Amino acid sequence: MEQAGHKIGEEMVGAVLVVGGGIAGMQASLDLADSGYKVYLVERDSAIGGHMAKLDKTFPTNDCAMCTISPRLVDVGRHLNIELLTDSQVETITGEPGAFSARLRTKARYIDLERCNGCGECAEVCPVPVSDAFNEGFSQRRAAFKLYPQATPDGYAIDKRGVAPCRDACATGQRAQGYISLIAAGRFDEAYRTIKEDNPFPAVCGRICNARCEDACTRGQIDAPIAIRSLKRFVTDTVLAGPRQLLEPVAQCHDERIAVIGAGPCGLTAAQDLCRLGYGVTVYEALPVAGGMLRVGVPEFRLPARIVEREIQDILDLGVELKLNTPVNSLDELVTEGFAAVLIAVGAHEGIRLPIPGNELSGVLINTQFLRDVRLVEPDLETSPAHDIQGRQVVVLGGGDVAFDCARTALRLGASEVQIACRGSRGVWPASEREIKAAREEGIGLHIGLDYLGLIDDGAGNVAGLECERVERFEIDENGRPIAHVVPDSRFTITAEVAIFSVGQKAGLAFIPEDAGVGITASRTIAVDGNTYATDRPGVFAAGDAVSGTAFVIEAVDGGHRAAETIRRYLHGEAVERVASTPVPVAVISDSELDTRQAQGEITPTPQVPVLAMAPESRATNFAEVESGYSKAQAIAEAQRCLNCGICSECLACDFTCGVDAIVHQMVEQKRQIKVGAVVLAPGYQTYRAELSEEFGYGRFPNVITSLQHERLLSASGPTNGHVRRPSDGQTPRKIAFLQCIGSRDQTHDYCSAVCCMYATKQAAMAKEHEPETEIRIFMMDMRSFSKGYEGYYKRAREKYGISYSRCRISGIKEQPKNKNLLLRYLSENSSVVEEEFELVVLSVGMEISQEVRDLGHRLGVELDDYGFCQTVRFDPLQTSRPGIYAVGPFREPKDIPDSLVEASAAAVQAGGLLAARRHSLTRTAEYPVERDIGEEEVRTAVFVCHCGTNIAGFLDVDAVARYADTLPGVIHTEHTLYACSQDNVAQISETVRQTGANRVVIAACTPLTHEPLFQSCLRTAGLNPYLVDMANIRNQCSWVHSHNWDRATAKARDLVRMSVARTAALEPLTTSEMAIERAALVVGGGAAGMTAALTLAEQGFPVHLVERSEELGGNLRQLYFELGEFGIGASLNGNDQPASPSQLLLDLEARIAADPLVTLHLASELVATSGFMGNFTSTVCDQHGTNHEIQHGVVLVATGGVEYRGEEYGYGSRPDIVTQQEFEARLASGDALPDSVVMIQCVGPAEQYCGRICCTTALKNALVLKRFKPEARITVLYKDIRTYGFKERLYTQAREAGILFLRYDDDHLPVVETGEQLAIRVYEPTLAQDLDFAADILVLSTPVVPPASAQRVAACLKVPFDMDGFFMEAHAKIRPMDFLSEGIFMAGMAHYPKLLEESIVHARAAASRAATLLVRDSITVGGAVATVDQSICVACLTCVRTCPFGAAHIAENLSGVGGITGAATIESALCQGCGLCVAACPAGAIDLKHFTNCQVMAKVGAMFTPAQQEPQSELVS
Amino acid sequence: MTGFEPRIIAFCCRHCAYAAADLAGGSRLNYPESLHIVQLPCTGRVDVLHLLKSFEEGADGVLVAGCLPGRCHYLKGNLHARQRIDHLHQLLDRIGFETDRARMINISAAMGARFAELATEFTERIRQLGPNLLAVSAQSPATQSPGTTP
Repeated sequence: MEQAGHKIGEEMVGAVLVVGGGIAGMQASLDLADSGYKVYLVERDSAIGGHMAKLDKTFPTNDCAMCTISPRLVDVGRHLNIELLTDSQVETITGEPGAFSARLRTKARYIDLERCNGCGECAEVCPVPVSDAFNEGFSQRRAAFKLYPQATPDGYAIDKRGVAPCRDACATGQRAQGYISLIAAGRFDEAYRTIKEDNPFPAVCGRICNARCEDACTRGQIDAPIAIRSLKRFVTDTVLAGPRQLLEPVAQCHDERIAVIGAGPCGLTAAQDLCRLGYGVTVYEALPVAGGMLRVGVPEFRLPARIVEREIQDILDLGVELKLNTPVNSLDELVTEGFAAVLIAVGAHEGIRLPIPGNELSGVLINTQFLRDVRLVEPDLETSPAHDIQGRQVVVLGGGDVAFDCARTALRLGASEVQIACRGSRGVWPASEREIKAAREEGIGLHIGLDYLGLIDDGAGNVAGLECERVERFEIDENGRPIAHVVPDSRFTITAEVAIFSVGQKAGLAFIPEDAGVGITASRTIAVDGNTYATDRPGVFAAGDAVSGTAFVIEAVDGGHRAAETIRRYLHGEAVERVASTPVPVAVISDSELDTRQAQGEITPTPQVPVLAMAPESRATNFAEVESGYSKAQAIAEAQRCLNCGICSECLACDFTCGVDAIVHQMVEQKRQIKVGAVVLAPGYQTYRAELSEEFGYGRFPNVITSLQHERLLSASGPTNGHVRRPSDGQTPRKIAFLQCIGSRDQTHDYCSAVCCMYATKQAAMAKEHEPETEIRIFMMDMRSFSKGYEGYYKRAREKYGISYSRCRISGIKEQPKNKNLLLRYLSENSSVVEEEFELVVLSVGMEISQEVRDLGHRLGVELDDYGFCQTVRFDPLQTSRPGIYAVGPFREPKDIPDSLVEASAAAVQAGGLLAARRHSLTRTAEYPVERDIGEEEVRTAVFVCHCGTNIAGFLDVDAVARYADTLPGVIHTEHTLYACSQDNVAQISETVRQTGANRVVIAACTPLTHEPLFQSCLRTAGLNPYLVDMANIRNQCSWVHSHNWDRATAKARDLVRMSVARTAALEPLTTSEMAIERAALVVGGGAAGMTAALTLAEQGFPVHLVERSEELGGNLRQLYFELGEFGIGASLNGNDQPASPSQLLLDLEARIAADPLVTLHLASELVATSGFMGNFTSTVCDQHGTNHEIQHGVVLVATGGVEYRGEEYGYGSRPDIVTQQEFEARLASGDALPDSVVMIQCVGPAEQYCGRICCTTALKNALVLKRFKPEARITVLYKDIRTYGFKERLYTQAREAGILFLRYDDDHLPVVETGEQLAIRVYEPTLAQDLDFAADILVLSTPVVPPASAQRVAACLKVPFDMDGFFMEAHAKIRPMDFLSEGIFMAGMAHYPKLLEESIVHARAAASRAATLLVRDSITVGGAVATVDQSICVACLTCVRTCPFGAAHIAENLSGVGGITGAATIESALCQGCGLCVAACPAGAIDLKHFTNCQVMAKVGAMFTPAQQEPQSELVS
Repeated sequence: MTGFEPRIIAFCCRHCAYAAADLAGGSRLNYPESLHIVQLPCTGRVDVLHLLKSFEEGADGVLVAGCLPGRCHYLKGNLHARQRIDHLHQLLDRIGFETDRARMINISAAMGARFAELATEFTERIRQLGPNLLAVSAQSPATQSPGTTP
C-alpha cells in the first residue's frame, strides 16, 4: 500500500512538516533533521515545549523535567534544518505522499523574532497583567511575555486580542486602554507620553472631549464605563503640574515649506506632524490668540486658557512658526510666497442668524461672536458683552453644547435669568448629558419640544421675548426639511431682553474667491477628496470644521493628522491616496467571557469613581473651572476597573523601550504555503476540563485543584517556588487527597488516560519530599503502573513515602465553609462508609483531544474516532488513514512521554523512508572560512561588553567595565555594545576580531548555556578556532542578581570579566577530526522488532545484517494468533494490501526480508564478539557450523526480545490443565477442546516484582476470544489490578459486558490451587470476608515476559547494562527509551521491556530512526573538549578505566607509561563525553580535560583574587 | 554585620547548578555579590587541588554545586565530587581549618530560588566564620580584590 500513488524521484520533496512542538514533535523534528530532511515544525503556541515544559519532575526517574527538556529545546532552536514556526497552524494539506502542499496560518506575534533577542525589557515595562496559563492561572504575567524562562524560540510575544473598543471608537485612535493601564500602574508620565503619541491636545480633550471611547467601553455592559476622559485629564493635570520640560526643536531636513491657515486644533496638529517630519511650517491666525475654538469658543470655566496655551506651546517649541493677527486674504499670496503646500484649517467661526421674525432686533447676539467677545475683550471695556447681559433676562436659541456654553456664560456675566429654548422633539437634546446636568444645577431654565415663531419686539426695536409653540415631534420631509407637528393652541412666550442665537456655525471662507480653484460646497464648507483632504487646486488641502462642518476637537485633531500625512505624500511625490493598512481586528469580549470572569470573581461590579465639581452656588458667579479632576488614588482606582479588552493595551511602553526595534504593533496574520513530502502529526492533548464534573466543585471550591496545577505548585520554578500552598489561604496542606480517573474510565470516556496513576504517585511522593508530615491518600480504581520501573516506583511511594491508596471512586466533594476544607465520603477497607476531611484535593485529570485538534484532523482529512483520537492502520500503527501523514503521541491514544517519544522517532523514520531518495536535497550546512593558525602568537584578547539593553546597563556601569577590561593583560580591544547577540552585532564582532587580529575573545554578556554556540560560530566566521572564546555571565550572575547595588554589581562584573580574560589567555585551539563511518547496521534478534528494524533501515538505503539465533525468523510473533485490532482497539484501520492477522504479518515480513537485497540474514547464528565504537564496530557472528563471520558496521540494534516466563507457581508444569496465556492462546487458535470453565490468575511469578505490562491485556483478549467461540464458557479472572491502559480499557469493558467475572486478590491472600480430579481455585473475597471456590477446566496463568538467557551474551559482547529485572537499560528512561548510553547502540522491542505487537513494531522503528541519524553521516567528529592522557606519567593503575562511565578509557598495551613500563592508559576520543571524571580521579595527574584543563580552571580562580595592577583608583568601590 | 565581605568560589556543573544560577538571575532573585561562579562540565571534574588552591588564593568559602543525587548527566560525577568533598573535609579538619568553608550542594536546573537561598545561607555561614586567615596572612591588603573593599 505504501508505494501506491507515491511521487518518486524529482517530484518528491525532501522536507517534512511536523505539527506540534511538544516533546514528541521535537523528537520527530530532531530525528528528521539529523537524518537529512528539512523540517518545518509548526506550533500553535508562542514557544515549543508542550506539556512537558510545565512538569516538575518526571516519573520513574524523578528527573527535573526542565533539566531534561531544555537541552533539547536549544537543539531544536539552533538546528539549521529545523524551521520553527510558532503561533502557527496548519490550514489544509493537499497533494499526495512525497509531494504535499500545506497551507499555514501564522498569527501576529507583534514582536519580530528576527530582531528580538529575548532581553525581556518589553515584559518589564508592560503594564498589563494577564493570568499566566503556563502556571495554570496561579500567577500573573504581562501581555508582553515569554511562555516560560527557558522557552524556545528565545523571544517574546505580545498577547493581543485586537484593538480595544475604546481606541477603535476614537477618531484619532487614542490608546485609551494603553494609558489607563499605565495609570493603573501609577506610571503617569508614561501615560502622558502614550496620549501625546496620537493627540497634541490631551489636556483639552481631558476636559471637553465627547469621549466616544466611554460609549464603546465594555465595562459599560457590567456597571459603568471607565471614566476615560477624567483619567486623561488626571494624567495631563498631574504632568502639567510638574516643571515643564522644554522640547527640542526638530531640525528641518526638507526644503519645502508649508503654510497652515488657522491655528485651531486641526491646523496645529497638522503643523506639529509636518514639523516633526522636518518641514518648515508657518501657521497664519487671524485672531490675536492661537487655539481657534478651543480658545475663543469654549468658555474658561470649561477649558481654562492656560491649558490651551500650554499645549500649543509644546507644538511651537518644535519649531512651528505662528503668525497671529495675520488673516490670509488670498490663497495666491501664499503660493507666491513660495509655500509648497497650503492647508486650510480655518474652522467654523461664523454663527448663524436664524431667519425668524425679529432676528435683527437689538439685544440679539450670535453665539460665536458672543463667546469670542467674552474671551477676548476685557470685561471692563465698553464693548464687553457683560454690559448687554448684566441684570437682564436671557434666552438662548439652540440646544447643542455651544448653546449651553452661551447660557452658562451669560449666567456668569450676571444675567438675572437664563433660559434655553431648543427647537426639536421633546427630550432629545443635542447637547451632552454632562452639560444639561450642569446647566440645570446652575438654575438655567430648559425648554424643549418647541418651534420658534419669532422674537417679540418691545416696540422700541428691542427684544422682549421669544414666542414659541409646542411641538409633538418633527418629521423630515423628502427634501430633508423638518416638518413640525404642532400641538394646537400651544403658543407661549419666554420673556427675555437678550436672545442669543446658537443654532450652528459655519466656516468663514471670504478669502477664497471663486477663481481660486478651490471648490466650496452648498453647505459652505470646502470641497475636498474625503480620503486625502486635497482640494481641487493642487497643493492646497483643507481639513477640520471648515471641511466637515462643526465637529468635536478629537475629529479636528484626526483631520490634522490625516492632512499632514497626505501633504507628506504629496511632497514626496507618492500617491496621495492613502494605502489602506490591514486592519487589526477590534477586540470584543464575548458576553459569555464576561459572565465567566464575573463568576470567577475576576470582575466585581464597582461603580465609576465620581469626579468632584464645585458646588453650583459657588460657581455661577465666576469663570473658575467647574470640575476638579481625580486625585491620584481615585485615578488609580478608576483605572483598575479596566477590563483590558485588547489584552495588550497598545500603550507603546514596549515600543519605547525595545532597543532593537522588534515591536511591531501593526503586525497581521500571515498565510504561507509550503511543500513537504510527509507529515507527522503530534498535536498533543488537553487535560480534561474538570469544571465539567460539577460534583467535584472545581472552580467553586478554591482548594480543589487539578493535577496540572499541583504540578506547577511543586515546580521549583513555579508560582510558589515549589512549595505546595493551598489556594484559599496560602497554608501548607497537611492532608491531601488525589482523586483518580477524573475524565477517564467514566461514562463519557471509555478509555484509560494511562499516565494519571503514575503522575499522581509522583506528585504525592514529591509533595511528601517537600513536607514529610503531609498525609496523602490516593483514591483509585486500579493502580496502573504498567511500564518499566513503574511498579517499583509505586512500591516506594507506599513504603518509603507512606502514601495510602484507597480503592474506591469518590462521587462528590463537599466544602466546609469555615475553613474551606473538603469532605470526602468513601467506603473503607472494612466496607464502612467513612467521611474524611482533607485540606487540599487534587483531581487527576485525564487526557482529551481538544476541539482545535479535532478540527485540525478534520481539515487534514485523517480519520478520528468519537473522542477525536486519530485512527491508524493495523500493523502500521502510526499511519493515519491518509498515506504519508503519520500520527504520534496522545493524539493516537493516551500515553506517557517515553511512549510518545518512541512513536515520534518511529514516525520520523517512516517519513524519512518515504523520502529517502531526496535526503539532503533541502538541508544546508554551515560554512566557515579556513581557520587561522594562531601558532605561537602572543595572546591578543578582544573583550565585548554587552548592555543587553538595560538588562545589564541598567544595573551596572558597562562603560566602566569595558574601560577596566582594557587594562587587563593581553587585552588589545574593548568595546561595549547594545546587544552583543543581535544579528548585526555578531557580524560586527566577527569583523572586529578579523580586523584587530585578535586571537582570543571574551563576551561579557549573558549565559553560555544558551549563547556560547552563537559566539563560537561567530569566531569561526572570523576564521578563529571556536574554542577561543569565553563568556563572562554578567547578566544572569550579576546585573540581575545585584540589581539593588550599582557599585557592587559593577565591581563584580569587573571580577567576572577579569576571570574570563585570564581563562581565555590559557585557552588553546582544539582540533577535531572526522572519522569515516561504516554505513551498515547489525540487528541482533529476528522477531517482529528485529525484522521491522532491519526492513526500516534497508528502506532508508542502509545495508543490514540480521542475526537470529534460531533457524527461523519470527520470535514471539509465531505464538501470536489474535490481536487487538480485531476488537477495534488501537491501530485498527484496515489498510490496502496490509496483512490482516499476525500470521500474515509474519509471512509478509519474512518475504520482504528475503527479497530485500540490502538485508543479509544470518539464521541460526549468534553474536560472539564486538569491538570498536560508534561508526566503526567490528562484530563476529558464529553460524550453526561454528564458522565465524566478521561484520563491519556503524551501529547495533539489540532486538533480543523476551520469552514468556514458565515457573512452578500454582502447580504449573505438574498437569496439562494448568497453562500459560501463550499456551492458552495456541489452544484457542487450534480450536481443540475449548474449556467450559476457565480461571485466570494474574501477576504470576516475576510479575509480582515488576508489571508485565501486556499480561492483563493478553488475558482479557484470550478470555474474549474464548467467549467468541463459546459464549457459555465461565471465565473468572483473579487479579490484583487490571492494567488495561489507554484504549485497552475497552477490552476490560467488553469483558465485563461479556459476563467475565473479575475478583481481586492481594498479596496477603494469594489464590490457592487445589489439584484434585478437577482443578479448584480458592480465593479470599474481602468484601464478603470469606473464601470462594471456583472449579475450572483450565487454569491459565498470566506470567510475564522475561528476558531470554541469550541476552546476557549479547550484553557482554556490547558491554551494555541491564536493569534490575534483566531488561536492557536505556540511556534515559524518560527521554531516550531506545538508546543505550554507549553511542551507536540501540534497543528495539521487548529487549527494552514487554510490549504488545504494535508497540514492538513502533519501538523497532524508533530504534532504526535513532540509528539512521548516525548512518546518514559521512563521518563523525571526534576530539574537541575531550580528556587526554600524558602517558609519560601514567602508571596504568586502571583508575580511569574504572571511573569512566562511557568505557572510553582503556589500557593500551602498545603504549608505554611512566618509566617505560608496558601499557598505559588512553582515552578513545570518539567515546569521551568530556565530563572530566577521570581527570580528577587520576592519582598520577596524567589526564587533563581539554577546554577545562587544570591550568584554565585555576586561571579563572586565581584571577578572582588578583586584581589588575592598573586599576584606576577612582573606580574603586566606595 | 562586621563589614567583612566574604569571597566565595562556586564550582557549578553546567547541566544543573549553572542553569539553576541562570534561572535565579532570570527570576531576579538576589544573593550576595560575594559568590563567583566557575563553570565545569560536571562536578566530577572538581579536583581536591582546585579546592585547596582556591583557599590558598584567598577564597573564604568554596561551594561545589552539582546535580541532584542520581541525576548526574554523567551518571556518577556528583557522587565522585561528594566523596572528594568528604576527603577535603578530612584534610581540612586535620590542619585545623574550618571544614564549613567547603560545601557541596545538589540542585536541579529548575531550582533557581533554591540556588539563591543556598548561596545566601552559605555566605552567611562564611560571614560568621570570618576571613580565611590562611589567605589574609598570605596576602598584603594592596592586592585585595576591589570588590571586597568595604
